[in-house]
Amino acid sequence: MTAPSVLLAVDIGGTFTDLVALNVSNGRIAVEKLLTTYPDPSLAVLNGLRDLLERADIPPASIRYVVHGTTLITNTLIERKGAKTALLATAGFRDAVEIGNEGRYDMYDLALKKPAPLVERRLRFDVPERMLADGRVWRPLDEACLRELAAKLRAEAVEAVAICFLHAYTNPDHELTALTALRELLPGVALSASHQVAPGMREYPRASTTSANAYVQPITDGYLARLEKGMRAGGIDAPLNIMLSSGGTTTVAAARAFPIRLVESGPAGGALAGLHWGRRLGERDVLAFDMGGTTAKAALTRAGELAISHQSEVAHVHRFKRGSGLPLMAPMIEMIEIGAGGGSIAHLNALGLPAVGPESAGSAPGPASYGKGGKKPTVTDADLLLGYLNPDYFAGGDIRLDVRAARDSFAELSAALELPLERTAWGLHQLVNENMAAAARVHAAERGLEIRRYCMVATGGAGPVHACGVAQGLGISRIIIPPLAGVGSAFGFLSAPIAFDFTRSYVARLDALDLDELNRILTDLENDGRRIVQAAGVSSAEINVSLSIDMRYVGQGYEVRVPFPMQALNAGHIAEMQRVFEAEYRAFYGQLAQGVPIEAVNWRVLISGPQPQIDQATFADSADACDQPITERHLRFSPEGAPVKTPIYRREGLGNSWSAAGPCVIEEAASTTIVLPDWSARVAAGGCLLLTRMSERDASEPTVS
Amino acid sequence: MIDPITLEVIWSRLISIVDEQAAALIHSSFTTVVREAGDLSAGVFDREGNMIAQSVTGTPGHINTMANCVRRYVVPNHPIDSLKPGDTLITNDPWEASGHLFDLTIVSPVFYRGRGVAWFASTCHAVDIGGATMGGDARSLYEEGLAIPLMKLFKAGEPNHELFDIIRANVRVPDQVIGDIYAQEVGNQVGARKLLEMLDEYDLPDIEAVSALILDRTEAALREAIRALPDGVYRNTISIDGFDAPLTIACAIEVADDSLRVDYAGSSPQVDRGINVVLNYTHAYTTYTLMAVLAPGIPNNEGAFRPIDVRAPDGSILNCRRPAPVSARHLIGHFVSQPLLTALADVLPERVIANGSAGLWNTMMDGMNENGEEFAYIFFSAGGMGAAHDRDGLSATAFPSGIMGVPVEAIETAAPLLMHRRELRPDSGGPGRYRGGMGQVMELEIITGAPANHSCMYDRTGNPAQGLLGGKPGASGQARLSDGGRPHPKSHYVLQPGQRVVLSLPGGGGYGEPRERDPQRVLADARQGYISLEAAEKDYAVVIDAATMRVDEAATAALRKERGG
Repeated sequence: MTAPSVLLAVDIGGTFTDLVALNVSNGRIAVEKLLTTYPDPSLAVLNGLRDLLERADIPPASIRYVVHGTTLITNTLIERKGAKTALLATAGFRDAVEIGNEGRYDMYDLALKKPAPLVERRLRFDVPERMLADGRVWRPLDEACLRELAAKLRAEAVEAVAICFLHAYTNPDHELTALTALRELLPGVALSASHQVAPGMREYPRASTTSANAYVQPITDGYLARLEKGMRAGGIDAPLNIMLSSGGTTTVAAARAFPIRLVESGPAGGALAGLHWGRRLGERDVLAFDMGGTTAKAALTRAGELAISHQSEVAHVHRFKRGSGLPLMAPMIEMIEIGAGGGSIAHLNALGLPAVGPESAGSAPGPASYGKGGKKPTVTDADLLLGYLNPDYFAGGDIRLDVRAARDSFAELSAALELPLERTAWGLHQLVNENMAAAARVHAAERGLEIRRYCMVATGGAGPVHACGVAQGLGISRIIIPPLAGVGSAFGFLSAPIAFDFTRSYVARLDALDLDELNRILTDLENDGRRIVQAAGVSSAEINVSLSIDMRYVGQGYEVRVPFPMQALNAGHIAEMQRVFEAEYRAFYGQLAQGVPIEAVNWRVLISGPQPQIDQATFADSADACDQPITERHLRFSPEGAPVKTPIYRREGLGNSWSAAGPCVIEEAASTTIVLPDWSARVAAGGCLLLTRMSERDASEPTVS
Repeated sequence: MIDPITLEVIWSRLISIVDEQAAALIHSSFTTVVREAGDLSAGVFDREGNMIAQSVTGTPGHINTMANCVRRYVVPNHPIDSLKPGDTLITNDPWEASGHLFDLTIVSPVFYRGRGVAWFASTCHAVDIGGATMGGDARSLYEEGLAIPLMKLFKAGEPNHELFDIIRANVRVPDQVIGDIYAQEVGNQVGARKLLEMLDEYDLPDIEAVSALILDRTEAALREAIRALPDGVYRNTISIDGFDAPLTIACAIEVADDSLRVDYAGSSPQVDRGINVVLNYTHAYTTYTLMAVLAPGIPNNEGAFRPIDVRAPDGSILNCRRPAPVSARHLIGHFVSQPLLTALADVLPERVIANGSAGLWNTMMDGMNENGEEFAYIFFSAGGMGAAHDRDGLSATAFPSGIMGVPVEAIETAAPLLMHRRELRPDSGGPGRYRGGMGQVMELEIITGAPANHSCMYDRTGNPAQGLLGGKPGASGQARLSDGGRPHPKSHYVLQPGQRVVLSLPGGGGYGEPRERDPQRVLADARQGYISLEAAEKDYAVVIDAATMRVDEAATAALRKERGG
């Protein structure tokens, strides 16, 4: 038998479970898509796996590596179906998770609802102990009290315990002692300590994150154990790796310890796929743009890597309202929701102006044109009325779109706006594009990024339909439409390196760093990470270690993250730290705070294995190439005037040397690519479509006269 | 002619621009007041100073006062055509801006193709402004710190060095105060840059046409909402603590077709302590409260102010005369929301909420840290909100102010304080069919080994939040020292090393008869420790067996009958 050569990715989404197998010896790809099974999603995985291997004739033993991502954690939090969880807090602070930030996320809503804490008050307990902000012990930990609490927790049949003591991010001793004691006192109970799960200042998000980690731990444990067992039973001996929301993968053991790091791993895969295709076509600055049925998301690279955020929210009370979710402090590929999806409904707002979403027609009844009872105008209906979608070849012909129903759905809106129907549909399409562009622009601006330089990678059913329009709003002139957009996240998993990162807060002015202490901390973090990454099969020689430091001016509350070479630090490095901080700060804010001392706050060490090489993956199949348009259709590209007769191509048929000038349309089962006038399209590496703007917009900055 | 779709596109863009302005300000700020508490406002204005859009951060006290300040004070005194690119104006005049010297309003004109086209402004709470520290003690404005009449902060991009020197010489923590002034300027410039990009992109000469359309549509939408109310006069009067003696806030809301007048005639006269409110601030919280009740979906801009006329007697606590002391004006100002809500309860019982703690509790500490350096630190905390017709009030949540609390870990990192506890305050939510939100309890100590000055700005210590439509009042607030002393809730005193101060924040009022509360909800509250078993029996007539923690149905039915249920 030949050496194992198949890489396998499994992505469990809310609706579908996707499997992708890549044979690295010949670049061949096999795909399986099936409905996610509830309550045990491992069923769909194992069934899909069996079908896929059989159909593609892949012997289980030839699988070298499996990577898996799941929405199980997110769903458990949204549906509140996690374990019975208790929280142990510093005496006097058990209500931090309920008091929250004392604010209202919508100033004008008198009927506002806040997310209820995952741990109810009667299961939140005071533990006598206290650290000061600088890590000194103010009150020693009362271990006798821990024993009494353990008895109570046993009596309550608690399944998971979160421990969050004040200032544990600077001195974790008390949390560690409590952890050790409870491990003995409460065997079989899942334990999470805040200094390990979310080591950063601010007790509310830290306690919230630690509670969430504990809350999902037992379910994650059971699920991963079943999955691993099922795979072994199916003859797959390859290591199972778990996709993290930070864009790396890790061992099952690490995933079971930190399940909260798995939240949003599916979208992370989508962003990774964007990064992969961008790199493959030689792009360094990539905007991953994914637009599906209910939502549109964006992720941006920074210096060629996807940005990682450590502050996010999950399980929102109001989907689009920041502040209405449970706060999480965990490393995540930074992704923002920039707008509505194809099913989002258009309506008039309080001022009588058009607005789109957040209400969505979803998949049932779906947009009016689905003909399943939806009456309200959606983005998809607008796209259809503009001629952008083929009523007979939507979702590969599985859904026949009803143009008349789409027209009917727009009648009321266009009457209210006193605009012709087509003009209304065109305006709505523009509005959606502009709003997505505006949101992406704010996001980029907050990070000091010049978005015009970026290359967009567009995915999702509606992404390629809107890509050119959004790109024009951003001044972007290159777009990649990758192949197999339907299973993009799973494909992205295959490009993820094995990686894990640890963070410690060590707050000190640069001129007062205790370098011995610091080097000891960094060595500890590195060793912890190495253990995990090596357990996943990465050899010591392949490991890459990188450091980033969060720094700020003394007195500020937000930090700027700067990468710094990982090495034994000596006094000579301090001036260099200051230099890189100032360069980064200037890029963000334009000017420095001269004369104010600089302090370092958090130290993050990322341990990663090599980037998997999957560039051999190829999708273009030129065997029966048909470079000619299969038909023509009338499309509208401007508010006034007649629609333009536009050639329609079928993507599967396009050969490797195909190219065309816009306007044109490229249809495939999973999506439709609209190439606007002024753009051109061609087939590029790996079967991607590359769209290029022909006359680049004048990108010079406006001047203050 | 701008069609409605294009108008919406540009309007959305303006909102994203002010959000960028606020983000730049917050991220470059030097103080937790701005960063964590969000005590700021940011907005964009047309040539005439009409506020078109505001960022989603901030508090009504800043946003709406800033709007009036720019239109009625900045623009008349410095018409945009009289300014040059790179000019920026500043003021902290309490009467013209946001009601006390602490708030700095910084306003920058924007020029496009050689012509002034818009303004960006922001108002932020400075952590110090000299004078007596923040509190109600001063007898006149002159004791309250440095006044900055409207003047240039930057002239053609050059800092006004004399002004910066004066500020630096007058405040206790100059680096933070000056740092935040620069942060405000950074925010304004980011906004300006983005606006110019937008004008270029849409080939617009200015935003006058967009502004006119948005303001008119906003005004029309609000008038529509007012017209839905029956004409008539709706009144309510409340009592609050005041400084040394209780004060009255009386309101009469007169609805006439599509406009509305609020008159605070009958409210107490101004006092010789720093809790007086300027009319601009009264106006801000009045319009905010009415918008939240009548038309929460309508954007807040100049158009929303037009249908509402706000007046208060000259020389009253809600329209004080210069040079009345005003430092802690929010202590009173936040309360104008309360009688407004109650006055509208008869016509809009499902839209209003019961009274709540309303006033933020502001705690300010200053003294010397262990290294002998001055420190000054202020943070805000919230009591409970009132209940609504279908839900309990929110606990420890600021209303009507829009600010946020500060994490204990952030407080202790920034100041030599130790918080011994911060937890929900059981039995503080007013009983009702729906319970008022709970207040919170905080216990503080200074850990420098030296005494520190504690300025208190606390209300509802004698006048609790009243319930609505049969609901009962929330618990009153209290400040108490570990040795039994009772600091004046609106003054300052010296906190000694080893001494602790316990702050018990007030709860919100209940909504509807407590006897009508579902006994299972009462039980749930008792199980979570939100209410005691005694309160369950006394306030709700629900008998709970302490051993089984079950409702004793028979005893409950008997008790409810006995109480006339």
